Amino acid sequence: MAVLEQAPPTAPAGPRPRAMSAREKWSRRLPLLPALLYTIIVTQVPFLVMIWYSFQSYYWNEPGGSWFNGVSNYAHVFTDPDFLNAIVRTVTMTVIAVLLTVIIGTALAVLLDRKFPGRGVVRTLIITPFLVMPAAAALIWQGPMLDPNFGLLNYLLAPFGVNHEAWLSNHAYGTVIVVMVWQWMPFMMLIVLAGLQSQPGDVLEAAKVDGASAWSTFRELTVPHLRPYLELGILLGTIYLVTTFDQIRLMTQGGPGTQTTTLPYYLYEKVNYAFDIGGSAAAGVVTVVLTIIVASFALRMFARVFQFEEAR
Amino acid sequence: MAAVTYSKASRVYAKGAVPAVDTLDLGIKDGEFMVLVGPSGSGKTTALRMLAGLEPVDAGRVEIGGADVSGTPPKDRDIAMVFQNYALYPGKTVAENMGFALKMQRVPKPERDRRVREAARLLDLDESMLDRKPKQLSGGQRQRVAMGRAIVREPKVFLMDEPLSNLDAKLRVHTRGQIAELQRRLGITTVYVTHDQVEAMTMGHRVAVLSGGRLQQCGTPRELYDNPVNQFVAGFIGSPAMNLRTAPLADGGALLPGTVIPLPPGLPSGLSEVVVGIRPEHLRLTTKDNPGIPNGSSRLLSGHVILVEELGADALLHVRLDGDSGGDSGGVPGERGGDPVVARAEGRRPPSPGEKVTLSVDPADVLAFHPGTGARIAA
Ligand SMILES: Nc1ncnc2c1ncn2[C@@H]1O[C@H](COP(=O)(O)OP(=O)(O)OP(=O)(O)O)[C@@H](O)[C@H]1O
Ligand SMILES: [Mg+2]
Repeated sequence: MAVLEQAPPTAPAGPRPRAMSAREKWSRRLPLLPALLYTIIVTQVPFLVMIWYSFQSYYWNEPGGSWFNGVSNYAHVFTDPDFLNAIVRTVTMTVIAVLLTVIIGTALAVLLDRKFPGRGVVRTLIITPFLVMPAAAALIWQGPMLDPNFGLLNYLLAPFGVNHEAWLSNHAYGTVIVVMVWQWMPFMMLIVLAGLQSQPGDVLEAAKVDGASAWSTFRELTVPHLRPYLELGILLGTIYLVTTFDQIRLMTQGGPGTQTTTLPYYLYEKVNYAFDIGGSAAAGVVTVVLTIIVASFALRMFARVFQFEEAR
Repeated sequence: MAAVTYSKASRVYAKGAVPAVDTLDLGIKDGEFMVLVGPSGSGKTTALRMLAGLEPVDAGRVEIGGADVSGTPPKDRDIAMVFQNYALYPGKTVAENMGFALKMQRVPKPERDRRVREAARLLDLDESMLDRKPKQLSGGQRQRVAMGRAIVREPKVFLMDEPLSNLDAKLRVHTRGQIAELQRRLGITTVYVTHDQVEAMTMGHRVAVLSGGRLQQCGTPRELYDNPVNQFVAGFIGSPAMNLRTAPLADGGALLPGTVIPLPPGLPSGLSEVVVGIRPEHLRLTTKDNPGIPNGSSRLLSGHVILVEELGADALLHVRLDGDSGGDSGGVPGERGGDPVVARAEGRRPPSPGEKVTLSVDPADVLAFHPGTGARIAA
């Protein structure tokens, strides 16, 4: 590339953008201003207020208002075993639920990718849980499905010796995960199905002619093809599942004990039951910081997922 | 290596539809290069896919090496196929693409590498290309990888579906020769599908012409060219196409403007006209120095040149015969007397448009076809 080396190093590649007057700059920004102001008022101002509260001792149920107490709220947050447990629990529940949605969703997608009579109906039925509002779903699970005395599940399992099982009391952790998976598996299935259907047919035919069995074809060709789809599904699924609140609020209230207290529910409890504004603000700030760290990793992965197609 | 037989094989895509391949009877000898050729929609791809096992055989049988494979899945047929769009595995490198079938046969890695490199050398694929992904290759290179994927296997039969159709004209001619040469060297039975009759004629040991799902004729390129069994094959094989025109019958011959061409005896009775076919090179230009009557039986046709296509070595003259109406029937060959005829002439000094010319034709070179069925009327 001798030609390039000879070129003056400072030569601009293209026409330089024309300098704009201040007036011109503002006339371009002005239409965006209302949206910007709105965003600042509803997101940044509350966040600043929250930071301010996080340095205050302030209990709703105690007279005397608020007073500055330094970093003691933060000290409490980092030493509060409930907070740390909530983080661990959120992570484990999310990881288990996401893995299950991926495995079940992929299996169902592979099933739905083949032609069989009634495929349209089956597909619609499988997608339905995704269309049910989380709160409504939680109520249905808690009552008609899981009720120890009248629940459908116990009725169906009775022949197998299950007797008036109180699922939400005795197996709360697992049951909540089951409901989370039930709700999000269709989403994962749809993404994987889109991936499967975008796989060119002649490549699969070439594999058949090359002597590959169905399983080898899946492992050698389909899984690599699905990789970006799986990554996207895991990413979005994680974002949704980490914020699960409705099901926990309505089915277990974080219990029994703190068995199902995840981070969102922990924060909610701190404000609404302990009336500890300062403490929950500090926990909230820590959560936001953690979220930002995780989210920026996730966003970087997003970028990679979407460049994946071009990069290979 | 094995012979391939289609016996009364049919494929009907939808109930009640016309068969895409209709009771095909075709025997392909061990080591033979057989080309399936025909216009678009004639069932070539379908016939090939039936042999590959990618399409079920709805009636009749398909045999490879004497064994009926009609119900055998593709992976157990020991065939290799080159797809029109190559169908390379996008996530795998060139070497992995070529070695995939061997991996599926559990051939150990060192042996696999050796055979992949050997195939790459055979196809002039650079070593450095073996680590690339298909996306990073040009169309011609992809085509060679697709070929490579087939030849590393040494299968019983090669199947190729228009493997050259995505290449530019020059590369196509080059690769055409390479494939034919490779097949000769490997000696593996090959079924090759194309819609390009030049490809068919230059590559095939034998060529099977399909139309509407039916086999029209199967023979060596020479047989097809010299002895087409019907009007379809006559018109399809050969470039430029054979001149075909309907001519009324008159005193034992076909009446062309200004002359009568004697026809073989034994014409079916009750015919009032026939389709006559004359290859462009059989219409010889007569000039002063070359009166063009090599034997006494030649007939003369006179007309004027309306178009000259110069091809270099020779030129194609489109000649409107005297006595023909000027109306052009839109290029449908042979359907009406009135189209210009095409003659092949020396390329150096062809007549110019508008010039009067006389063409001579030896009646022995004239083919006649039944106007209703299109079947050849032979002596
Ligand atoms: N999957 C299919 N479903 C229904 N009909 C089909 C299908 N594939 C092909 N056909 C029909 O079968 C006939 C033969 O098709 P085929 O693909 O074998 O033609 P072809 O000779 O390969 O043509 P081309 O030169 O255009 O590739 C056509 O009429 C086509 O419309
Ligand atoms: Mg085809």
